[in-house]
Amino acid sequence: MTSHDVTIAGYLVVLAGIVLLQVLATRTRAPIPSLGDLLTRAMRSRTGRVGVLVAWAWIGLHFFAR
Amino acid sequence: MSRAGPGPEERHSHSPGTDGGAGAGCAEAVVDAARPAGRVLAALAGFREPVVWILLAIAFFTAISGKPVDGVLMLLVAVGLAWDAGRRALRHSDGADADDAAGSVAWPARLRSGRRRGILVGALLAGGAVYAGVVGSFSRYSWPVTGCVIGLGTVVVLIGWHGPVRARPPGGRLPVAGTLAWIAVLVAGCLWELGSLLQQPSLTTDSYSHPTISTLTDPVLATSPGRAVVLLAWLALGWYLVER
Repeated sequence: MTSHDVTIAGYLVVLAGIVLLQVLATRTRAPIPSLGDLLTRAMRSRTGRVGVLVAWAWIGLHFFAR
Repeated sequence: MSRAGPGPEERHSHSPGTDGGAGAGCAEAVVDAARPAGRVLAALAGFREPVVWILLAIAFFTAISGKPVDGVLMLLVAVGLAWDAGRRALRHSDGADADDAAGSVAWPARLRSGRRRGILVGALLAGGAVYAGVVGSFSRYSWPVTGCVIGLGTVVVLIGWHGPVRARPPGGRLPVAGTLAWIAVLVAGCLWELGSLLQQPSLTTDSYSHPTISTLTDPVLATSPGRAVVLLAWLALGWYLVER
């Protein structure tokens, strides 16, 4: 297994973790909030709301802007 | 858009929570703004917000990765947020979230329901499609695409700064263990990305052995249709977040 494969596998593990938690949150009665609940909670304060929206804007800047 | 009347957020705003807003509230509680030293401390209270430090870290890493424009913008927002929290501390308000409620920009009732809502949604969808098509046709990292992304990002962040666009139910506390599980996974993802970035030959040179997410998405973003699709997804995510 090359370093490239290991790096990709790491991203896939993180992605699988996100999907697993979301499924557990929405399809079972496990005490896990959904990602939407988490974002809503984080965005309840002004700093949290601005922080999340800036993170969103940063994604656009990072992938497209100079 | 109009100011919202008292809603669930105000009711919630007076209950201390565990987020940054509550943190600012704590900062305000210990600062006596009547004294000069207290005013200085109050002005610095904004730097107690974890979000401010996260944005400063993003600004630093973005700037040294060869994206100075991103870095400067992140720095401006971080300083603006800190200043805003400090200003609220000086005013000795009830708490950071109280300002949120006062600044709420919930959509007027006539826009929230019925036909007008449908027209608004249709216009936003059409505008989003046009935006994605036009901006996606520009070359990556060109000034036109930079201007379009900065412009939209600024509008969305300013909307969020003024308050939520709709009243939301107060909601209860999130389960601690489940929340920690989310934090662990998301932090792990960030650290994995950071590890790949630091193992590149340099911060501005891609590595096949240790690709970052940016490197992995390069093939998709190399084509105009690919950029348009990714921009649509980015717009949809932004809309979802604005509605939170």
